[in-house]
Amino acid sequence: MRVLRAEEVGKVLLKGGPARVDADVSAKFEVGDEVVTRNINPTGHTRLPRYARGRHGVIDRHHGVFIFPDAHAAGKGKCPQNLYSVKFSARELWGAQGSGTDSIYIDLWDDYLEPL
Amino acid sequence: MNGGHDLGGMHGLGRIDVEENEPVFHDAWERRCFAITLACGFLGEWNLDMSRYARERMHPATYLDTSYYEHWLIGLQTLLVEKGLLDEAEIEQRMQALAAEADA
Repeated sequence: MRVLRAEEVGKVLLKGGPARVDADVSAKFEVGDEVVTRNINPTGHTRLPRYARGRHGVIDRHHGVFIFPDAHAAGKGKCPQNLYSVKFSARELWGAQGSGTDSIYIDLWDDYLEPL
Repeated sequence: MNGGHDLGGMHGLGRIDVEENEPVFHDAWERRCFAITLACGFLGEWNLDMSRYARERMHPATYLDTSYYEHWLIGLQTLLVEKGLLDEAEIEQRMQALAAEADA
C-alpha cells in the first residue's frame, strides 16, 4: 500500500489527478453534430444528470479522450472515451419555465449520446 | 445513480448565499477532513470516481441535511470500511473516546 509522506504532499497536490487519457479512441461525434442524450438510470455513478436525459443538444466543443467515470467508479478500469461540451437550450431542459435566451453546457461522454 | 446529490432543477432549497471572501475552510475539522481524505486517497485503494460514488450513496435525506465536508467524511468512512481498512466498531470506538475526552 502506498503512503503519502509529509514531504511529498506539496509535489503530489501540484501534480493533481488528471482524467485526460493519452489514447487513440475514435470519436462518435464532431462539433456541430446534433445529439440526443440517452435515458439511462444506472444505480452506479454517472455524470449524466437526471434533468438532461432524453434531451436534444448540439456538440459545442470536443475536449478529447478522458476516463469514463461510470466504469471507473465501478472498478471496471478507465474505459477511455471522447468527451464533449454539449449545448442545450434552457427551454429544451426546462420547458416553458426555461429562459428563451439561456443555454446550458454539460460535459458528456460518448456513451451518454446518440446521433439525432 | 438517482441520488440526493443530483438536485439540478429541484425547487424549494432557497437561494444560494454567495459568501464574500469565502475562506477555504470554515472550521478546523474541515481542514483535517480534507487532509485525511487526500492522504487516504493516496493509499491507492480507490479512485476519484469511487470517492464521488461513495458520497452519492448517502441517504438522500442525510445528504441534503449535511455540509460539503460532511459528505467527504461520510464518503471516506464508507470507503475505509468497504476496503477493510477500518470497521464500523473501530470508528464508533474512536468517536466515543473523543466524546469522552471532550466531556472530561
